[in-house]
Amino acid sequence: MATPTDQDLIERWQDEPAPLLPLLHAFQERDGYLSEEAMRAVGRGLRIPIADLFGTVTFYHHFAREPAGLERPRVCDGPVCQMRGTEVLTASLRAAGHDPSPMPCPGRCDQPVPVITGSEVLTGRTAGTLVSGPSPLPPFPPDGTEECVFAGIRRPGRATLEGYRHHGSYDALEQAVTGMTPGDVIDVIDASGLVGKGGAGFPAGRKWRAVAEAPGTPKTIVCNADEGEPGCFKDRVLMDHDPHALIEGMALAAYATGAVRGFIYLRYEYPDTAGILERAIREAEGAGLLGDGILGTDFRFDLCVRRGAGAYICGEETSLLNSLEGKHPFPRNRPPFPVTHGYENLPTVVNNVETLASAPPILLHGADWYQGLGLGDHAGTKVISLSGDIRRPGNYEVPVGLPLAKLLHDWAGGVPDGRTVQAVTMAGLSGGFLAGRDLEVTLDEPSIRPRGSFLGAGGIMVFDDSRDMVAVTRQSMEFFAHESCGKCFPCRIGTQRLVERLDGGGPGSVDAWVDEVADLNEVMKKTSACGLGQAAPLLTESLIRYFPDRIRAYLEKGA
Amino acid sequence: MTMKRNGTPSANGTGVGLTMTLDGEKVAFTRGETVYEVAERHRSEIPTLCYDPRLESFGGCRLCVVEVEGARNPVASCTTEAQPGMRVRTRTAALETQRRILMEMVASENRDLDVDPMHGYASQEMAELLDRYDARTGRFRGATSGTSRPDDDNPFIGRDYENCISCYRCVRVCAEQEGDYAISIMNRGFHTQITTEFGGLLKDSACTFCGQCIQTCPTGALGDLKALANKDVPGETEKTRTICTYCGVGCSVDVMTRGDRIVGILPAMDGPANEGALCVKGQFAFDFVGHPDRLDTPYVRDEKDGPLRPSTWDEALDFAAGRLRKVVEGHGRRSVYGIASGRAPHEAAYMMQRFIRAGLGTNHIDNCSRA
Ligand SMILES: Cc1cc2nc3c(=O)[nH]c(=O)nc-3n(C[C@H](O)[C@H](O)[C@H](O)COP(=O)(O)O)c2cc1C
Ligand code: SF4
Ligand code: SF4
Ligand code: SF4
Ligand code: FES
Ligand code: FES
Repeated sequence: MATPTDQDLIERWQDEPAPLLPLLHAFQERDGYLSEEAMRAVGRGLRIPIADLFGTVTFYHHFAREPAGLERPRVCDGPVCQMRGTEVLTASLRAAGHDPSPMPCPGRCDQPVPVITGSEVLTGRTAGTLVSGPSPLPPFPPDGTEECVFAGIRRPGRATLEGYRHHGSYDALEQAVTGMTPGDVIDVIDASGLVGKGGAGFPAGRKWRAVAEAPGTPKTIVCNADEGEPGCFKDRVLMDHDPHALIEGMALAAYATGAVRGFIYLRYEYPDTAGILERAIREAEGAGLLGDGILGTDFRFDLCVRRGAGAYICGEETSLLNSLEGKHPFPRNRPPFPVTHGYENLPTVVNNVETLASAPPILLHGADWYQGLGLGDHAGTKVISLSGDIRRPGNYEVPVGLPLAKLLHDWAGGVPDGRTVQAVTMAGLSGGFLAGRDLEVTLDEPSIRPRGSFLGAGGIMVFDDSRDMVAVTRQSMEFFAHESCGKCFPCRIGTQRLVERLDGGGPGSVDAWVDEVADLNEVMKKTSACGLGQAAPLLTESLIRYFPDRIRAYLEKGA
Repeated sequence: MTMKRNGTPSANGTGVGLTMTLDGEKVAFTRGETVYEVAERHRSEIPTLCYDPRLESFGGCRLCVVEVEGARNPVASCTTEAQPGMRVRTRTAALETQRRILMEMVASENRDLDVDPMHGYASQEMAELLDRYDARTGRFRGATSGTSRPDDDNPFIGRDYENCISCYRCVRVCAEQEGDYAISIMNRGFHTQITTEFGGLLKDSACTFCGQCIQTCPTGALGDLKALANKDVPGETEKTRTICTYCGVGCSVDVMTRGDRIVGILPAMDGPANEGALCVKGQFAFDFVGHPDRLDTPYVRDEKDGPLRPSTWDEALDFAAGRLRKVVEGHGRRSVYGIASGRAPHEAAYMMQRFIRAGLGTNHIDNCSRA
């Protein structure tokens, strides 16, 4: 096939919904980077002022602005990989004649150390042993544990429509569109106690109802598949092995709310997943499960995938919406919320992959069934991505309320090499650390929040007693500094100042150091404009709380 | 973004009778007003750095945070719409501490905290807040942000981004007020940088040199180079409100003078025609007034293509009147067409049209500054 011209690419995308990101990707894939001419052509084609477009392109980590930038290997420097050989792999790539650059965690913490080059993700320890391969399936839970989203995922062929239907699926959608009103569907989701699995834990039924009742059409379902939180890789395994569950969940959300269009906003770092989702969508369209006249009714729902380009903040729902719309991806001011002013300022559901994939089994088995999966008063399940110093890293769907210690020791085999747990992170990195007696928490928000942390999206990194917690905190804070969007002062300046203070800068006396860091923590938590800046200081706050002696030792060493 | 332009009061009267509690006092507001606007009306003196009343609220600096009963965290008053029954506190000890720390943080990222007021209209905003919050403590010291552009050798706009605090007022005024989209935000986080397309010079961008970005900049990172050239002219700066003479829009300006010298132009933020907007001429082209090449005495040219010779007012006026009369007598009153200079004051323009209409009896009168 001949290389497409600028005009070909622009014509391919300009009349599609949310065209900016796919068009930029198309140019980058054609040229190996985004040249000035390419950006000018895109600006003209989509009528975006060129200064704005340039600024927006620079926002994304994985848009290359130097020739051959796309091929340049990018190596994970997240906290887990730093313990597992980022340095060795980087040196080995350099020795092999490459020019590697660091990237934030691309969601492969169960298979360290990942490298992205071109459009491929490879993993391995040295330049010569890099391989690409499918996402590992979730390990089996202990006997007798009932799962919701992982219940069917290990079945062979599950990712194909045939394999999915073989086990009776899309039945939930059929049941809904042929036998239930949209209100009935919302009632079931509401009664089940399903809450958002992307971080904030907002009740899914309430969100759907708000969109159903909001004036303005067309309405939109957005699946948040940005999964940018370091230490989180659950949405990847769900999409890779069970894409139809997500599609069915989105169709259910659309039916329930009256939405006619949907987007899966997928993080850049999951190129294989993009292919799997595209294929599954084509299959579903072919089978009358998406598009016009779904299952012979007059229900219509169009779905497409949009790939991000490397920006953690684009997982924040309003930043995501700006990104989809081709705007500079700063978060929006809220209220108004997406349920009334979402994509193109119209009512929009934004839900996480896991939330949406939970909907079909809940509809099939009932609200009580889902409620009952949790322990004690807690409803349902939560997928935990477990990584770091742990024998069996991977994704575990636990009943909400399971003791953390049980997950670490009974489910995942405990800490290797005879070591003990020094600390774990919560919510990927966003919940900061739990350590000491607080490791006795159960995996539910009411247990974790009073300890100054939160479960969030469910990423847990384990650090054994040999790890330098000040260094881990610095690496983690570097992530937030790298990803701070720069919209608001407390986070833009605060993340930088915290990194400096964890990296030999700032006052040398313990009192003055703690005083400054505590002030930064407090102002960031209280006044930041979005969850990133509010969460980042939980790292330093918990470092001060659990490891004051390490801080002293670190400052004394510096002096 | 989704916020309406600030404080669009409802036209249909649905906002009548709404009240909220502000620092313990019951106050009225109209639907659509932000908490900040209501508080301003009641002189709460909430500090701001990213705010410009002409622009959509942005919510970046977070200095305007206030406590709303029932909310977990303080909220930015500039982006929060007032709601009936809302209970708001604007100056608790906790808020004032947060604001002081924020100001200390802001101070830590700039090279200079104080700049000459000739930089621009808003250039003292940050320094004034640093004093108000006693924030010149030197805490939070660390890397400074922003890369200045001394290579941008345009004669109007200094781009000293080492004093930039990333409030993006310049970018927003350029887009929202001017519609020029000449500048934008590059990179993220601490590395954000105001830029033109591909980091080039302003003259190669869509910039029209209207100067609005300068005048809204709260730190003097952007500076009015024309005015700054006069910063050492002795004397107190006096400001005189007048109307720009360059075109028919009628933009209000405050002319800055020291002694009998014009040292700079400030847009009048309350100018009814321009709300602080000017164009390159009104903003920067004032230096002809005191230019040495300017005529300083009447001159007369005795014959076509002949040399000019210095003269007196009486002789020059008699000479001009005589020639005009000759033209009118020879060719009729419609053979004369008057064009008043845009650089002449309004009074002169008025006299000119009186002279042409009443004096010569024709409507052939115009002004070079049609717009
Ligand atoms: C900085 C930041 C990053 C986020 N990243 C993600 C993400 O990658 N995936 C996600 O589902 N939610 C993410 N969220 C949460 C979303 O804003 C939003 O709450 C969520 O998508 C709603 O879906 P849910 O209710 O199903 O959880 C993020 C939030 C913040 C503040
Ligand atoms: S908290 Fe950080 S990421 Fe969020 S808006 Fe502010 S600068 Fe951007
Ligand atoms: S001078 Fe005017 S046009 Fe130029 S960048 Fe500033 S605001 Fe935009
Ligand atoms: S140059 Fe001035 S107006 Fe522009 S962002 Fe910086 S401080 Fe704000
Ligand atoms: S993949 Fe490296 S830390 Fe997550
Ligand atoms: S004035 Fe409200 S955030 Fe800056």
